[in-house]
Amino acid sequence: MPEHRIAAQEEWQTARDELLAEEKEHTRRRDELARRRRELPWVPLEKDYELETADGAKSLSDLFEGHSQLLIYHFMFGPSYEAGCPTCSSMVDGVDGLLPHLHARDVAMLLVSRAPLEKLQAYKRRMGWSIPWASSANSDFNFDFGASFHEEQMREVMPPEDELPPIAAHNADATGTDLVSYISEMFGATVLKLQDGVVYKTYATTGRGVEFLMGYYGILDRTPRGRDEGDAFQTWIRRHDEYGTS
Amino acid sequence: MNEHLEGTREDRLAARRELLDAEKEHMRQGDELARRRGELPWIPVEKEYVFDTDDGRKTLADLFDGRSQLLVYHFMFGFGYRVDEENPGCTGCSFVADHFDAAIPHLNGHDVTLVAESLAPLDELRPYKQRMGWRFPWVSSGGSDFKYDYGAAFTEEQQRNGAEYNLRHVDQPPWPQREGMSAFALREETVQHTYSTYDRGVERFMGTYGFLDIAPLGRNEEGPADWWQRHDEYETPEEATS
Repeated sequence: MPEHRIAAQEEWQTARDELLAEEKEHTRRRDELARRRRELPWVPLEKDYELETADGAKSLSDLFEGHSQLLIYHFMFGPSYEAGCPTCSSMVDGVDGLLPHLHARDVAMLLVSRAPLEKLQAYKRRMGWSIPWASSANSDFNFDFGASFHEEQMREVMPPEDELPPIAAHNADATGTDLVSYISEMFGATVLKLQDGVVYKTYATTGRGVEFLMGYYGILDRTPRGRDEGDAFQTWIRRHDEYGTS
Repeated sequence: MNEHLEGTREDRLAARRELLDAEKEHMRQGDELARRRGELPWIPVEKEYVFDTDDGRKTLADLFDGRSQLLVYHFMFGFGYRVDEENPGCTGCSFVADHFDAAIPHLNGHDVTLVAESLAPLDELRPYKQRMGWRFPWVSSGGSDFKYDYGAAFTEEQQRNGAEYNLRHVDQPPWPQREGMSAFALREETVQHTYSTYDRGVERFMGTYGFLDIAPLGRNEEGPADWWQRHDEYETPEEATS
């Protein structure tokens, strides 16, 4: 651990006091953003989608499981992947334990990926998860929600490999596919509301907007060394059964 | 909620873009706060604390378990928080702790050890831990001043005459215990206290709120704690309608 300024209690207290005032301000701004999210207009979905699930083909409105809100995480697991994205996996690790609390607030949660259902189910067993996971292999769902791109189009628009962050090649390797196939899938969250039989899209986010799923970042942000990852962000993340093996 | 139903795709995109800018600004402010946390001076821990653990008695330095960073969650259970069949452990702390097990492999892989401490003896913590299905290390601090020194428990004398809570003086703290998280670094065999947070500061360890904050109904609560249950105590939708 590098050198660090050591202080007596009084000096620490002054510095911590100042920071606390700003932390409180940040918490209140977070409340304000949540309030503004709830004021966003809703958009009715014009198309229905059938997704493959462990209980057969289901329409979106079937996937709310009796709740009125559905949070979908677009998990990067394309048809050519041999295993799920490690970063997405690290997010889903945290979800199972929260489902009872989310259900109690009328929220169902679902993973959707474009790989065939059997591949998703085998990986889910390996990871020991219970969260529902649907395949959109036979649907436009992923393309319409910006969670998959056609590889030919991706080849045309993607930046040169050396301009991509290191995590792209790292995770392409970890998922057993090539770079273009890896980045043709996209991560993100979409939130739907079911009201009077109509499904509305209320919110969607991607990029750093999915950090709400990465509980370990909120914890690391309060440790002495922080996230400690620099430009090679997330390359330290492994599947939970792979730490210590490489 | 009918006012939500009028949005066209264009309306919605414009509103969402404006909100996205505000979300990004908030994210960057969060990065800046994390950077400033990293600049806080550290305080050497001069007192010796001993904990009862599943592997016998251990010092604070031992709890690092071979890593250089330690987080200790102050879990309310035991003295001043009556343990009986009705009230076996703080519901809010149990909610927070539901987030730990999934994060631990990733934290351990990044040089951070996370443990919970409570005043109750181990033989009271173990059955509750088993009921909740938790695996994280949970130690008893009942034999030391640790919880009091780090602002998460208050003696009867302090409850009468005042104490520091959440970096402020409180004349008569009305609670024997509060929740909180403290962070430590181990350098050259010396333990340094680097950070502590309390009250809504622990919301960042309650990922569930991050999910609810993007749901159309939001947190959907009158006040925090008005809906919290232990994860095995919620009614399922079938039970609620039967």
